[in-house]
Amino acid sequence: MKKYLYTLVLALLSSAMLFAQEETETVEKVVDKPVRSPWESGTIVNHHTSVTQQKNTLEMVINHRFGVVENGISDVFGIMAPGANIRIGFNYSILDNLNVGFGTNSQKKYQDFQAKYTPFRQTRQNTMPVSVTLYGNAAIDAREETVFGTDYAFSDRMSYFSELIVDRKFTDWITLKASVNFTHYNAVDSLMDNDKIGVGFGGRVKFSPQSSLTFELGIPLQISSISQYSTFTKPPKAHMAIGYEVSTSTHAFQIFLTNGLGILNQELYMHNQAEMDLRSFRFGFNITRLWNF
Amino acid sequence: MKKIKVRILSGSLLVLFGLLLMSFVQEKKPWDVPAKYQSMKNPQSVDDASMVKLGKMMYSKHCKSCHGNFGEGNGPKARSIDADLGDFTSAEFKAQKDGVIYYQSFVGRDEMPNFEKKITDEEERWAIVTYMHTLKKK
Repeated sequence: MKKYLYTLVLALLSSAMLFAQEETETVEKVVDKPVRSPWESGTIVNHHTSVTQQKNTLEMVINHRFGVVENGISDVFGIMAPGANIRIGFNYSILDNLNVGFGTNSQKKYQDFQAKYTPFRQTRQNTMPVSVTLYGNAAIDAREETVFGTDYAFSDRMSYFSELIVDRKFTDWITLKASVNFTHYNAVDSLMDNDKIGVGFGGRVKFSPQSSLTFELGIPLQISSISQYSTFTKPPKAHMAIGYEVSTSTHAFQIFLTNGLGILNQELYMHNQAEMDLRSFRFGFNITRLWNF
Repeated sequence: MKKIKVRILSGSLLVLFGLLLMSFVQEKKPWDVPAKYQSMKNPQSVDDASMVKLGKMMYSKHCKSCHGNFGEGNGPKARSIDADLGDFTSAEFKAQKDGVIYYQSFVGRDEMPNFEKKITDEEERWAIVTYMHTLKKK
């Protein structure tokens, strides 16, 4: 009987030790952290990246688009031209991978509310090879009522943009992204579609610890099956940008050339009529400032 | 009357001299580093090229504007700062314990801001400390 008791006690002890060993192994398991700064800020130029600032960070964003360069030196390549587009916005990070924001824009007096969520972030050991981000906004066109015609309703002012972004930091110097997006305007000019699907591409080539070259391309697609009409009237043109970015501890400065006047993505994917020729390009800049709480 | 003037003048000079001395004393105010930081050990080595590279990237982004390209305290913002920015290339700086450098760099005091919320990754913090050890006078 004693023998059985000893055997039982030994068996219990050894199993307890096995559990203990398992616990130690669990503790020692290395956590694969997200990659370091795949991008320097939340936008390349107009397009959104997977970057959300860390929890409890307030980000102020100033966006500015000058006039087109076509008049040359007479208006200093559009810098002194009228019709600039300016936006000031604030984003707050509720979580490390979730932020919400508000912005006010001079173009069409857009007032936008936005949210960005990155459920999957690329990790250093490649257990997650890409970052996946969901971005969405709702904007109010705050111009006077007469702009919306005779049958005015408040809902005519609304437009929405949602996007799925996949990006990857390939090396310390190169990060690329691709996205698919959906734009909806409650009210558009006659013969125009209310909905638009688009694709976006972008990248960053970092050439010094603080400086990068950036580029992006947005293509609104003409998909007959979702069109309300048999032919496309005033289909939006593709937009692109090429820029230079410098980042510091609390700022990112971006200066670029783009053929899109819009700052909000739905404006670019639905209403951009600028060709992709040199005369249609314009200078612009974005500045961000971060505060940690 | 003349004696009073001399006394006022010498008194004022004494006060000025004292203020001057105090300003020097303030600049060289020693760091009160808690024991927890004094005993911290840097898990990285200056021979670890990947950490030195990471440290250089982080230093360029967060430190260079004040402390200068090579840590000599001559960055573009240095002129507007009263505090002693130190010289990271000096033997005196490098003789300090890594935990002390860590405290000075990330906890900070006065004009040296706290970076704990800006640089949250321990590996990145130590990489900056490691990189600072590689800085040499140019």
